[in-house]
Amino acid sequence: MIKLLGATAVAGPAILRGTTGKAAPSNIIKIGFVSPRTGPAAGFGEPDGYVLGLARQALAGGLTIGGKNYQVQVIDKDSQSNPQRGAQVANDLINADGIDLMLTTSTPETVNPVSDACEASGIPCISAVVPWEAWYYGRGAKPGQQDAYKYTYHFCFGVEQVYLAYSHLWPQVPTNKKIGVMWPNDSDGNAIRRELGPLLAKDGYIVVDPGAYTDGTNDYSSQIAKFKGEDCEIFNTFPIPSDFVTFWQQAAQQGYKPKIAQIAKTGLFPSQVEALGPIGVGLASATYWAPSFPYTSSLTNISSKDLATNYQNSVRKQWTQQLGPSMALFDAAAAALKGASDPKDKTALVKAISTLEVETPVGRLHWGTGPNANVVATSFLGGQWVQAQAGSNYKLDFVICENASDPNVPVAGQLRAWTA
Amino acid sequence: MNWINAIVQGVFLGGLYALFACGLSLIFGVMRIINLAHGDLAVAGAFGVWVVATRAHLSPFIALLPVLPVMLLLGFTLHRTVLARSLRSGPLTPLLTTFGLAIVIQNALLQVFSPDVHSLGSLTGSVSTGSWRLTSQLSVPYLGVLILAVAIIVLGTLQFTLQHTAFGREMRATAQDPETAGLVGVPASLVYARATAIAVATAALAGTFLAIHSTFDPSSGPTQLIFAFEAVVIGGLGSIWGTLFGGIVLGIAQTIGATVDPQYSILAGHLVFLVVLASPRGRFMAARSATP
Repeated sequence: MIKLLGATAVAGPAILRGTTGKAAPSNIIKIGFVSPRTGPAAGFGEPDGYVLGLARQALAGGLTIGGKNYQVQVIDKDSQSNPQRGAQVANDLINADGIDLMLTTSTPETVNPVSDACEASGIPCISAVVPWEAWYYGRGAKPGQQDAYKYTYHFCFGVEQVYLAYSHLWPQVPTNKKIGVMWPNDSDGNAIRRELGPLLAKDGYIVVDPGAYTDGTNDYSSQIAKFKGEDCEIFNTFPIPSDFVTFWQQAAQQGYKPKIAQIAKTGLFPSQVEALGPIGVGLASATYWAPSFPYTSSLTNISSKDLATNYQNSVRKQWTQQLGPSMALFDAAAAALKGASDPKDKTALVKAISTLEVETPVGRLHWGTGPNANVVATSFLGGQWVQAQAGSNYKLDFVICENASDPNVPVAGQLRAWTA
Repeated sequence: MNWINAIVQGVFLGGLYALFACGLSLIFGVMRIINLAHGDLAVAGAFGVWVVATRAHLSPFIALLPVLPVMLLLGFTLHRTVLARSLRSGPLTPLLTTFGLAIVIQNALLQVFSPDVHSLGSLTGSVSTGSWRLTSQLSVPYLGVLILAVAIIVLGTLQFTLQHTAFGREMRATAQDPETAGLVGVPASLVYARATAIAVATAALAGTFLAIHSTFDPSSGPTQLIFAFEAVVIGGLGSIWGTLFGGIVLGIAQTIGATVDPQYSILAGHLVFLVVLASPRGRFMAARSATP
């Protein structure tokens, strides 16, 4: 309620500020960009300001399409990690700014409502960083349906890549193959329980699931007691970030020490792991991009390695895996606009996206070949947070320990048992 | 053994809830206001401690020392500038005022500190992760004992002050009948301002322990407000020891619920709260608070 009121209060002036209304001049292409820059998912939006700067710089000279030069404007909005706010800014971009193409990224709370708004208004939309099942089925596609959406397209890893990562990562440390899981009672937790649980069981893992807990629980002693009682040497969770801190401190208090602590949804970014202090070192996580990805942004011509180095030099913060997909969205956008017979024509633009092939920092994206017509499945590689080497400016390093879903990315080390 | 462990952990969790509920209970008891900004004031206090602790490289427990007087002063000023005016215009206005205050505090924190999530746990070293292992199934966390002890000391001091000092007598008199208290020379507004100051300081204390126990960000306040409110209602509105009792009942309900099935954890707490509300005692409280 408080959030809702806050959101409306801030939204008022945006309508007044809005530019000329629906039809932009025919030589200007407007791109909307919605991401969570504030709120609980703000960690995802952290590098967006930098990526937007790179994209605007690359698009400053406009795009020449079919012999005609178009100016390109990028208008970015903050979803505040809130679905209502996300839908609202998307509709503002569509109705007040008259955008031609929407880009959106990071968590179902932001991406799904923005995609829905675009689908309803017939605006082409490319999105990223929501496990694709949560995006495709979470918005109402029926199982087996191959082309559920006409205007909205997506690239991200899915449950299959999560499974590949875990099943190649975990055998690197000898365990009794018993997994204690903390899968919450929310859309991500329930999807993982339904999809990933059976896959792991088929591989001979024993999943010890105490049940779906509510996000925001303050005490996890019953789960910890169960994991200790069953001697679960592997631990896996998909929590909201703050819940994991509570759980992990309590696990330390009560002496639960798994050999592998595999966390997802939290622990993606160095700041989240640093906040845990010594009990954060050695946690296993996974990544959808890293500086060692051997790919280059086709729009800016910046390699993955340079993308990370330049970010660290100019923003003075450690690279995060979110840099890759945010950059990739603009690569895909530019390629789609160039590939369309008329970039101002929504149908032509959608047609270009549906068969688009483009090189981005996260890999080569090719729509029309993926698990369904709207989705490209990208890679997700398992690894571990380790103490950074002496002389590093940062406290932690992420080491990629397996590359099953993209063998082009080098493996940098082997998973070590958690010892803290 | 799991059940014993659940109850023990529930008692410690209850200590945190009681600490949160203490200021809420005090303000309600003295002024008959439900302070909807209580959770956000707690988070503001936690941010204060976080700033001092990280800038000066201090333990959060030492960083609390300069922050608590600041919060006392903030509470006093808050009453003098905002709450006192709203109290004059009927019972609903203070509720709306504190609701507005909650939004202002949240957005101000968002503006100043960004929505990044912080924790004080790693700054306290082994206090947040260590425990006495009684058996392999039962351990007593240092942090839980510390929080419970602080809650008992704070609530006990408050109870003693209310019962046995002149200041407490003035506060009780004002709570019962501000006009008559005023006639015999007890200025209600000063008593109210002092009560608010104490409540805000205890909120900051609770916020700091929440920040050590888990994490906080500018939007953490409302969730904790709900638990604090439930603890106050379960323990009896405005009763100091009742608040400790209410917090512990809520904590145990949540951990026992989680032992049955983790999805019943928070629900079990809400159910206990609803049962108390529906009981004759709950109806009595509702009637009493309607006619101040």
